[in-house]
Amino acid sequence: MVNGINLALQFLDSFAFIVLAAAGLAIIFGIMGVINLAHGEFILIGAYTSTLSVTHLGIPLAVAIPIGGVVTALFGILTERVIISGAVPNYVSQRTLDRDIIEPLYDRLADSMVATFGLSLILTQGTRIAFGNSIDGLSTPFGPIEYGAFSYSTYRIVLAAVSIGLLVATYYLFTRTEFGMRARATIQDKETARAMGVDTERMYMLTFGIGSGLAGLTGALFAPVITMRPTLGDQFLVESFVAVVVGGPSVVLGTALSGGVLGAILAVFSNLYGTFIGRIALLVAALIALRFLPDGITGFIEQLRKRRQESE
Amino acid sequence: MSSTEPTSAPNRSLPDRLRSRFEGPNTIGDSRGFWVGFVVAVAALAVYPVFGDGSQLSLFMVLALLGLSLSVVWGYSGVLSFGQVVFFGIGAYTFGVVSINFATPGGITAAVVAGIVGGGLSAAILGYFMFYGGVRDVYVTIITLVSTIVMHTFMAQTAGSEWAIGEAALGGFNGMPDIPVLTLGVEGASYQFMYNPFPMRVIGIGSFELSPFYYLVLVLLVGTYLGLRVLVNSDYGRVMVAVREDEDRTEMFGYNVTRIKFVVFTLGGALAGLSGVLYAARNVYIDPTVFSLLFATLPVIWVSIGGRKSLLGAVVATLAIEYLRISMAGELALVLLGTLLLVTILVLPGGFVPWVHRQIVDARLGPGEAGGPDAPDASSEVSD
Amino acid sequence: MSDTETESDIDSLGPNVRQTAAELATGDRTETLLQTDGLVKQFGGFTATDDVDFSVAEGELRCLIGPNGAGKSTLLNLITGSYEATAGSIYYNGHDITDLDPHERVSRGISMKFQVPSVYGALSVRENVRLPVQQFADGEERRRLVAEAIEAAGLTGYEDVDAGQLSHGQQQQLEIGMAAALEPDLLLLDEPVAGLDVAEREAIAERITRLNEEQGIAFVVIEHDTDFVASIAEEVTVLHNGEVFREGPIEEIESDPEVQRIYLGGES
Repeated sequence: MVNGINLALQFLDSFAFIVLAAAGLAIIFGIMGVINLAHGEFILIGAYTSTLSVTHLGIPLAVAIPIGGVVTALFGILTERVIISGAVPNYVSQRTLDRDIIEPLYDRLADSMVATFGLSLILTQGTRIAFGNSIDGLSTPFGPIEYGAFSYSTYRIVLAAVSIGLLVATYYLFTRTEFGMRARATIQDKETARAMGVDTERMYMLTFGIGSGLAGLTGALFAPVITMRPTLGDQFLVESFVAVVVGGPSVVLGTALSGGVLGAILAVFSNLYGTFIGRIALLVAALIALRFLPDGITGFIEQLRKRRQESE
Repeated sequence: MSSTEPTSAPNRSLPDRLRSRFEGPNTIGDSRGFWVGFVVAVAALAVYPVFGDGSQLSLFMVLALLGLSLSVVWGYSGVLSFGQVVFFGIGAYTFGVVSINFATPGGITAAVVAGIVGGGLSAAILGYFMFYGGVRDVYVTIITLVSTIVMHTFMAQTAGSEWAIGEAALGGFNGMPDIPVLTLGVEGASYQFMYNPFPMRVIGIGSFELSPFYYLVLVLLVGTYLGLRVLVNSDYGRVMVAVREDEDRTEMFGYNVTRIKFVVFTLGGALAGLSGVLYAARNVYIDPTVFSLLFATLPVIWVSIGGRKSLLGAVVATLAIEYLRISMAGELALVLLGTLLLVTILVLPGGFVPWVHRQIVDARLGPGEAGGPDAPDASSEVSD
Repeated sequence: MSDTETESDIDSLGPNVRQTAAELATGDRTETLLQTDGLVKQFGGFTATDDVDFSVAEGELRCLIGPNGAGKSTLLNLITGSYEATAGSIYYNGHDITDLDPHERVSRGISMKFQVPSVYGALSVRENVRLPVQQFADGEERRRLVAEAIEAAGLTGYEDVDAGQLSHGQQQQLEIGMAAALEPDLLLLDEPVAGLDVAEREAIAERITRLNEEQGIAFVVIEHDTDFVASIAEEVTVLHNGEVFREGPIEEIESDPEVQRIYLGGES
């Protein structure tokens, strides 16, 4: 039975999930043209870092969560330097073999998918080897909110609020900061941006760091409500991926809109037919969107806007 | 497709003319040495069950067909598909469903055909949706990936008894057991391939029991490999490569690129379907793990490491990697695999087999004889 | 490769076209090969091609010039079908080809060389040339055509070199060769001499002229180099802001002060 409040809360839940999962990936894909299939594993790093910080180091959750984000961001920068741009191996090979051995993965979409999948295998299995098949999770803070005959986890509402806050913060980052302006210039036209003096190398490194940090933050935030095991990234991966591509070129608006549209579909169908069907409905909707809106939702909106401008 | 092309030496013998069909710039190995090695390798595979675990190798050879299907679609036409396992799985399940419902030799034979058709048809549907809808490049890849997850999620929740086609229950996560043993032919004139070992006695060495299924797979694998060699070295194959290299340019030479991608994708689906049929037949069982993310990426891993533009690379890599994966302790195997994949893409994006081949060719030509305006016609180019 | 169409097919076209065809029919102009009728192309809010009536006669050597952003490449892309027209029609040999896919137009006799040299870099010169030729020639004839095309491009001896390793000028020659190997009736060249030195430009000019005279191929050539244009063109169309600004024989256009002005800047 569809209970209005239930559905609304479920929607908020789905929205938060998608937005938080997709944000980091959207930034990386938008600016660098890299598809990071290890995204789920960056979420894993954040989740495990914050969980272990609480259980083994006694750090309070509120502090552990940002730590999860930061550690993942650092790992992201390392990944970018070694794998994505190949800067570190090339630095070494220049001095020993007198040539570059790695070509950067920017704009090599297929290759970046395969390479980062390799990375994800290493990280998943590495985690399993280091920490076993699961670790103790955290209990959900704040407890439930009661309304009528139902109760809902307060923490999940907090997550929804955080996801909205994150969108706002990212919007701020892109429109009000130096970095944001340079990033948008790079998205628009890489060559011109470089000609204008944007240090694209550094930009990419920072971008990947921020994108990974966001992924780690997502992991840390969701840690109290999911099972702590090495494959926890899987549940985020495809949805985040799909949300990014369906969202389109505008990072903030695109993520928000896909979060809204896909989140609504996920919530409605899960509510009516169960989580399996909900997930299938989301994926099928994404397939249809990819087929008919090749530039994503925001790309489509952009086209409409331009067309209306012309006819005025 | 071209007719046999005479070359500058008009009196080439029949074997040479025949050989030229299988050789060309799109495959590795066009020297006598290669073909000798090839025959030796096939002979070794034929004799292997006497000394080693034929049952394990038959699995790898079945998977090699799946790897070949991706090589054709990705390496030779530029379509990176994470969805080959969709057609593999549909082929397997179709075989299961049809053979369970019609458990006679004729029915099982029909089930094999149905599985292949199922793979091809589902590929055709998805291909039509994508290519004729103008979807390109990475979005094709993403759609195939999403399709795999959709299949996985869908099949996983078919556990209830209402999810049955005739006598065959789909079984959800538990899978579909009790698939009838592979038998080809019709009532009265059929041959059973699974669980029907035939005895062989070699004087001086001993007597063994050999599995007909193993030899069926071997024949199919070698046949497919050779058939694909002919295809990719034909005129059509050259167009496939042109599509991979530059779609727009190829369209401008008058080729219907959309249709070419569609046809190749369908062929890849049928081949993956065949692989799925054999997989289900071998295990007499099928479950949704074939649609899982890991299994979907395995073909990409094999083909990336082996060399995506090489049929030989696909086969060799599948056999080698699956062997390593099974023989190593589970967790470490995947770490090594991931590392291997990562290093290959970054350092040797063309894959191992082409790299090894280049080393061999360079060693053969001697130093200082790389291609250039003064180079002699490469010994390999017989046709054209 | 060419269709043989008769005068009566022109009757099946619209009035605009009939009129222009009649105009062209004076002098030694024969059939209209290509005709666009009110062709428009918009990208979002930007109009790249604005109501263009453009025609090419059989065997004509026409150059398409105009300042940057005038819409020259867009017009060629509309003709080949790489871009879909927002409005208007295109007729080729009397048939309406507006809704045909690029490969269908190519098989009717239109061929193009892109602005950015796009030979198949990873394939050898021989394999590059083989690709267009293999569609309609087999065996001995194929080998002959491939060899001829390679020789005409000045690349004898380079058969097994990867096309990506050729010099820029060689790549341009190769690409023209491949486009010509289709034996088209209409060959569209988008900046064939960009980035080439004087000797290479002359070689290409000579090649184009030869193809035009010996094989009767009609050309539409986009170029900025006025000397080059002067050396090959019979007719010139000047585009500006997506519209046809001037049209006429090379002698007229060369000396037209308005044309000079739009090149030197300033709105018109």
